[in-house]
Amino acid sequence: MSFLTLNSLSKTYGNFTAVDAVNLEVSKGEFVSLLGPSGCGKTTTLQMIAGLAEPSAGSVMLDGREITREKPNRRGLGIVFQTYALFPHMTVAQNVSFGLEMRKVGRAERDRRVAEALALVKLDQFADRYPRQLSGGQRQRVAIARALVIEPPVLLLDEPLSNLDAKLREEMQFELRRIQQTVGTTTIMVTHDQGEALSISDRVVVMEHGKMTQADVPAAVYDHPATEFISSFIGKMNNIPGIALKLGIHASGVILPATDCPATEGEPAILSLRPERITIVPAGQGHLHGVVSARFFFGSHWLFNVDTAVGQIIVSWPNTDGSLPASQGQPVGLSWSPESARVSARTRETSRIDA
Amino acid sequence: MTAQTSSTPWFLSFPGLIFFLGMVVLPLTLTAVLSFHAYDFNIGVLDSYTLSNYTTVLSDPYFLSIFLRTLRIALITTVLCIVIGVPEAYILSRMWNPWRSIFLLVIIGPLLVSVVVRSFGWSMLLGSTGLISKASIMLGLGPVRILYSEAAIVIALVHVMLPFMIIPVWTAIQKLDPGLEPAAWSLGASRFTAVRRIILPQISLGVLSGSLIVFGLSASSFAIPGLLGGRRLKMAATVVYDEYMHELNWPLGAAIAFIVLVANLLIMLAYNRMIEAKARKVLG
Ligand SMILES: Nc1ncnc2c1ncn2[C@@H]1O[C@H](COP(=O)(O)OP(=O)(O)O)[C@@H](O)[C@H]1O
Ligand SMILES: [Mg+2]
Repeated sequence: MSFLTLNSLSKTYGNFTAVDAVNLEVSKGEFVSLLGPSGCGKTTTLQMIAGLAEPSAGSVMLDGREITREKPNRRGLGIVFQTYALFPHMTVAQNVSFGLEMRKVGRAERDRRVAEALALVKLDQFADRYPRQLSGGQRQRVAIARALVIEPPVLLLDEPLSNLDAKLREEMQFELRRIQQTVGTTTIMVTHDQGEALSISDRVVVMEHGKMTQADVPAAVYDHPATEFISSFIGKMNNIPGIALKLGIHASGVILPATDCPATEGEPAILSLRPERITIVPAGQGHLHGVVSARFFFGSHWLFNVDTAVGQIIVSWPNTDGSLPASQGQPVGLSWSPESARVSARTRETSRIDA
Repeated sequence: MTAQTSSTPWFLSFPGLIFFLGMVVLPLTLTAVLSFHAYDFNIGVLDSYTLSNYTTVLSDPYFLSIFLRTLRIALITTVLCIVIGVPEAYILSRMWNPWRSIFLLVIIGPLLVSVVVRSFGWSMLLGSTGLISKASIMLGLGPVRILYSEAAIVIALVHVMLPFMIIPVWTAIQKLDPGLEPAAWSLGASRFTAVRRIILPQISLGVLSGSLIVFGLSASSFAIPGLLGGRRLKMAATVVYDEYMHELNWPLGAAIAFIVLVANLLIMLAYNRMIEAKARKVLG
């Protein structure tokens, strides 16, 4: 049973369509990420759910009730803004307490719930500080506590981690997931960071140019991207153009195998292959031959650029036992299981390798 | 370092220093000295020194009533500027171009018109044969004359002082995170509550500095009370002018000017102390 439903929700500014007929059903307790590049309409979608932007068409249903035209202060949703929007003239405790005051919660209960919320985000020591006396990560937590203390039916987060540095961002990802699972609030998070979306959500909704193009569990979005754009936006992908065969493609005189092959035989097609699905084998073996042109170390894995007859291929190699399969300038073979490769009909010119 | 570098700052600030000494310190000192000179109606300024100018001014109900009126008019003008200017600045900050530019021009407009022309315009509106009076007669309420009253002075002062309130408040609003109000709404605050609890406390510094400017300028205004207050309604600056130009009692005029200066300075310094204390609390 869907808890929050968006029915062909649209927003137009003049003759520009920022959000184009988005349909989405979110179950109670679910953590959904809206993922897409900057300007694709994620914030606008979130603001329509929050009541901060008026939909041009479509409706929003919350728990069986239509809230499309309801004022934001009547919806009772928790919102965490990208800039956190903490009230600078109030202490942490006063910030968190504000929503309860608006709900006319009594003094004693208010204090108890504020303390609870601050304990949840591990900020109990900082109740009397002002926002300016906190670090970025701490402000982030105050914003989350302030949104959650009113026990909202839905928590909306707009790029909550984008203002944090890399290390803190990773920490807060896990923290956010922990908090969400502790309180069990239905959560929608907007992000342009695919890693963030994949790692902490139950479901990822990908948006392109105002349209929703895929909504699925993270592993499915990663392994079976619905569009070419998604395949290159999420994770690294080798896209090799060629002519479709029954099981694979034919490119630059080489036959590259794949089992997932919906394209019509003889038509132009693209074979997509994740870098981590390719194995480096001794020269002379495998499906494709090439020379290692560059090698990069990332700690947990290596990245190889291999020059082949079909162009440069990126290969990722896990750093499991410290052994190295190849050095720069060395000829190698590339191998993969045909189940890992996907062939799709070539619709438009795309860059062959996208990061 | 060398002697040359230590004297350079003095050398560079020399023109400014001369200007300040010549234009501010010297006239003020001369006025102060003049205010202690004795005066005789037949002879003029005497060479002897006395405190009688001050005792005369401070014990004369006529002068005291003028000081009181000056204080009252400046206060009312300041309060009205806050009441009108703060909402206006808030609305202005929520406007999009081109409306914002147009309204900003409308607000600053009065400053671009000569005070004489502006006051003449007001007398045509407010006089006993003015537009407002005629409208009142047509409505059967009889003629009203606002001209030559404190109300006329206040109306004209508010009109020209508004930009000095709106601009600092508007600047303060511009500096706020645009997400603050939506955040308050999402927590259940109505539009009014969001403004009162979240926006107002943060722009209070802008309101206070705007008030300081408006109060100072209103208390020392000369042309508007002179033109719209008529012969009877004097304010501090106009009575000083009277003493100098009509009574020719320069020492008495100087004493009044000095009393007004000191009073104004005291009020503004006290107010400034308040602003600084507030700023420390808000900005940390
Ligand atoms: N108030 C507005 N007026 C006109 N265009 C807007 C307005 N708000 C957003 N847009 C446009 O709508 C598109 C989507 O914006 P947004 O939802 O903020 O994108 P995202 O959050 O995905 O980066 C952008 O192209 C943006 O320029
Ligand atoms: Mg955005």
